[in-house]
Amino acid sequence: MNVFRRELRANRRSLIFWCLGMALIILTAMGKYAGMAAAGEQSISDFIKMMPASVQAVMGMSGLDLSDARSFFVVIYMYVALMAAIHASMLGAVIIAKEERDRTSEFLFVKPMTRAGIVTSKLLAAVTNAAVLNLVTFAVSFAVMGQLAKGQPFAAGLARMMLGLFLLQLLFLSVGSASAAIIGRPRASTGVAAGIMLFTFLLSSAIDINSDWDVLKFLTPFKYFPARDMMLDGGFTVFYVALAVGVAAVLTVAAYYFFKRRDLRV
Amino acid sequence: MNIYFHELRSYRKNTIIWVLSVGAATVMFLSMFTIYYESAGELVRLFQAFPDAILKAFGMDVAKIATLPGFYSFILGFLVLCGAIQAMNLGISALGREATGKTADFLLTKPVTRTQVITAKLLAVLTHLAVSSAVFLLVASASAFSVSAGGFDYGTFLMMTLSFFYVQLIFAALGFLVSVIVPKIKSVLPVSLSTVFGFYIVGMVGAALNDDRIYYLSPFKYFDPAYIAQYSAYQPQYAAVGAAVVILAVAAGYLIYKNKDIHAV
Repeated sequence: MNVFRRELRANRRSLIFWCLGMALIILTAMGKYAGMAAAGEQSISDFIKMMPASVQAVMGMSGLDLSDARSFFVVIYMYVALMAAIHASMLGAVIIAKEERDRTSEFLFVKPMTRAGIVTSKLLAAVTNAAVLNLVTFAVSFAVMGQLAKGQPFAAGLARMMLGLFLLQLLFLSVGSASAAIIGRPRASTGVAAGIMLFTFLLSSAIDINSDWDVLKFLTPFKYFPARDMMLDGGFTVFYVALAVGVAAVLTVAAYYFFKRRDLRV
Repeated sequence: MNIYFHELRSYRKNTIIWVLSVGAATVMFLSMFTIYYESAGELVRLFQAFPDAILKAFGMDVAKIATLPGFYSFILGFLVLCGAIQAMNLGISALGREATGKTADFLLTKPVTRTQVITAKLLAVLTHLAVSSAVFLLVASASAFSVSAGGFDYGTFLMMTLSFFYVQLIFAALGFLVSVIVPKIKSVLPVSLSTVFGFYIVGMVGAALNDDRIYYLSPFKYFDPAYIAQYSAYQPQYAAVGAAVVILAVAAGYLIYKNKDIHAV
């Protein structure tokens, strides 16, 4: 319990910054959008509709009617997900690796707690952080959409998006913590976590541009919960939910398994 | 000179990994051009149906969209993003690692001035970035030539590719400034990732909203690939802001570090 509380406190300031950053992105983007919609730029949404698929894809606007605030939120969601993924993967890696980085592992690991118990406390703290960021994102989006949706239903869609976002966060948390638990050198483990995050982001963009690569979607979590399906068509794909949960579970188990057995750097 | 060589050596492996990854990403993205080009005819027809005013507002030129620089402008942003992360890592680590590794007192008791230390370290960073950008230029040019059957406007392509280096300079300077202001950066990557992606997202949101005032806030848009592809020129007002950011950040970094208290272990 002490480790859990200690970690929450240690991450509080960075969590506040992340929440502010997230709120700022959503508020400015949607605020600007409100201005644009008020000016009645119908022509823009018509124009986008007729743009070639690859151009739309790069802008993240495929098949969307931007006169609808929900559609514009779908465009913004890509960046919300990206920020959440960076936060989660770095948090997961650092929270495990920090004792070795700060040379405090001798202090912590001689306490009357098992290594598994310490990892559990740390992971719970990380999940709590991710959940807070998720809820803040939800609250801000909900408030903004309430202003802009013009009576169209959005609550259920938004809730589905945030659930998808949370699964994405859990997945990247497990990527980060597994790499820190397995690798052991603090700098290398954040590097590996960041590399995986960056690779999956680039791959998801490449799939957007080039639909021939659709078969590779299972390799990139950014494609597991497509914002448009969450918001407009309603629904998760069972396969991807299972995949996300499965990968997160396997990586978490791996984190415990390797961390319990490896030598700590002191 | 010793510091310079020591720094050069210590980042070598890091740079090799970055260069290989960015090179692989470059080849992957540019290899898509053939598929893109096949649908280009249909694309041009679609665009011709639009009034000129709307096309201008979106910075799209029918004649350019189906060319290699036109395609390159869609993908270059991702590659520049990677380069920017590498640059900011280097910029932060150059001085920051002396504080985190508790080696600052060892280094600063040597008979060199702090100014010399900073200069040597920044030159080493600059060398690494220049080498990375040069390799990127080679890989990008080679893949561009191999995928484009009918030749393309290499001058424009070169201008776009060089923006990789300019954006790297901006982020290295920002990283350097951050590293002298923040007392101790324990993990470099979380700081650089969130900063770089933050600016990237600001730029992309600006593009989605089609608002070029937001572009001033994002170094990624100081050398906007879409603009260069269309006009074969940089936008002087943004380039000037970029240069100012680099000069101010580096100058401020020197001043602050020269007068800063350095904690011994």
